[in-house]
Amino acid sequence: MAVKTLDLSVEINGFEMKNPIITASGTYGYNNEFDVFCDVKALGAIVTKGITLEPRSGNEGERIFETTGGMINRIGLENIGIEAFLKEKLPVLNKCGIDFILNIAGNTPEDYIKLAQIAQKNNIKAIELNVSCPNVQHGCIEFGTNKQTLYELVQMVRKNYEHCLIVKLSPNVTSAEEIAEAAQNGGADAVSAINTVRGMGVKLDFLNGRFKKTTVSGGLSGQCIKPVALSFVDRISKVIDIPIIAIGGITSFEDVLEFFSVGAKAVQIGTANFTHPNAAEKLVNDLKKFMIQYNFSNLSELQQAVKGV
Amino acid sequence: MGKNNQGTIKDIQKISEEVYSVKIYAPTVDEILPGQYISILCEGLTFRRPFSVSDFDNHIITVLIKKRGKGTEYILSRKVGSSIEFSAPLGNVFSVENKKTLLIGAGIGAAPLFYLNKKLKELKVKTFFAAGFLSKDDIIVTPHPTLSRKGRGEYDFVSTDDGSNGNKGSICDYLEKLIAEFKPEKIVSCAPRPVLKIVAQTAQQHGLDCEICMEKVMACGIGVCRGCVIQLMQGDRVINKTVCKDGPVFNGKEVVWQ
Repeated sequence: MAVKTLDLSVEINGFEMKNPIITASGTYGYNNEFDVFCDVKALGAIVTKGITLEPRSGNEGERIFETTGGMINRIGLENIGIEAFLKEKLPVLNKCGIDFILNIAGNTPEDYIKLAQIAQKNNIKAIELNVSCPNVQHGCIEFGTNKQTLYELVQMVRKNYEHCLIVKLSPNVTSAEEIAEAAQNGGADAVSAINTVRGMGVKLDFLNGRFKKTTVSGGLSGQCIKPVALSFVDRISKVIDIPIIAIGGITSFEDVLEFFSVGAKAVQIGTANFTHPNAAEKLVNDLKKFMIQYNFSNLSELQQAVKGV
Repeated sequence: MGKNNQGTIKDIQKISEEVYSVKIYAPTVDEILPGQYISILCEGLTFRRPFSVSDFDNHIITVLIKKRGKGTEYILSRKVGSSIEFSAPLGNVFSVENKKTLLIGAGIGAAPLFYLNKKLKELKVKTFFAAGFLSKDDIIVTPHPTLSRKGRGEYDFVSTDDGSNGNKGSICDYLEKLIAEFKPEKIVSCAPRPVLKIVAQTAQQHGLDCEICMEKVMACGIGVCRGCVIQLMQGDRVINKTVCKDGPVFNGKEVVWQ
């Protein structure tokens, strides 16, 4: 019997990924850092840590908090800035053959436009607009929670960037459908959803007859948000035609299939990378194994089968 | 693959009121140096739990674990012979150099100092190991039986807050005396943050080198998520460093104490 070739590839506006398993921004560094745990270039792509025009030192105080089934972070977009990224990180990505999506964030529309222009100029094939970071004072999430503002921002970025433009959506909105439509109408090639859910962790200690309270307010992620993400993806898939990259607590291969079943074309792995640093590579292997075992020759065949049920 | 390892629990021994010595056989780990740590996967929990290495010899990793939450309870509930997944080796190292070294531990913070003390003694570097505990039952018995002295572990000096063993009071109360008597060139400490701050400041007043080993809640273990940063003063600039990758060992003079 002839061996069927296995095609796991995903293509979005010229950006080719060898498979639909991507690692989420902020959980995987800038380039090949996770090579100490697994083979990063085997992944569909990595999304870089969120990059701003200037370097940022992030928030002071406690930044992470473990919750039941997840975590809260308030890193505050600490990053090295686009200039250092281009100089120090981009060459490593290219040298290692790692496909990547540049995650960009800004305080003003001009920041996003400049970053998009820089990405265009440097022939970066995919960018993800972070319009949903809940952890910074200005910008960012303000763009992602108002449909008109988001529409205008995406439109402006679109004019300055011709390759794959992904908009990362916040779940902290009144209407998932309207915000997704705004991204699509603005000219996005795809959306990724969801970013973290606004949350708060409280730790109380009772010492010498007095309470001591520590709080961490920021973005909730991990397995506990998977139902929120499934619902969000399910709803937006009914109103937009552009590809959806699902994010939200994806840890196991079953999770990946569940998101395919509500319309996702690819997935991002975030918090699971901390628990199982080789989680993403394992999902690539699990996906391959499943497709071989059950005779699926390409990804869309599998996605249609699981979505059609 | 790489830093993600599977090991087997070889031994769990209670060595003080709340602290257990756990030995893990790790065939894929060839070397761990003093100061480095391992991060253990705990079923049902998001973050792996970091533990300083107290000894490493021929693929056997010793960590000291104090029961204090779900992660440590999970690990200590594992039976000898059961498998365990962990990342290792992680973090930077204590500098091993020929300088008369005063080691200051407090509570479970003594853990990495056992391994450093052993290495320094092998190299014939003069050390003086002082440690503070809450009470006599909290004194951590050394994981190196050959270096142990009856009732005192391998410590050269012990204090307890309640005076039930050794000298009464916090280890910080004895810093000046220890420096005056032992005349170290360098102080190395691992302890709760308030103790580290006092040790670092005292070392600075005496013009001594000082390395401190810090602890923070960690997510990634390799410096990428920026969840465990502390501030260092380098030159006239304050910069972020991650405890998980740039640390856990830092120059005491550089740490910015908030």
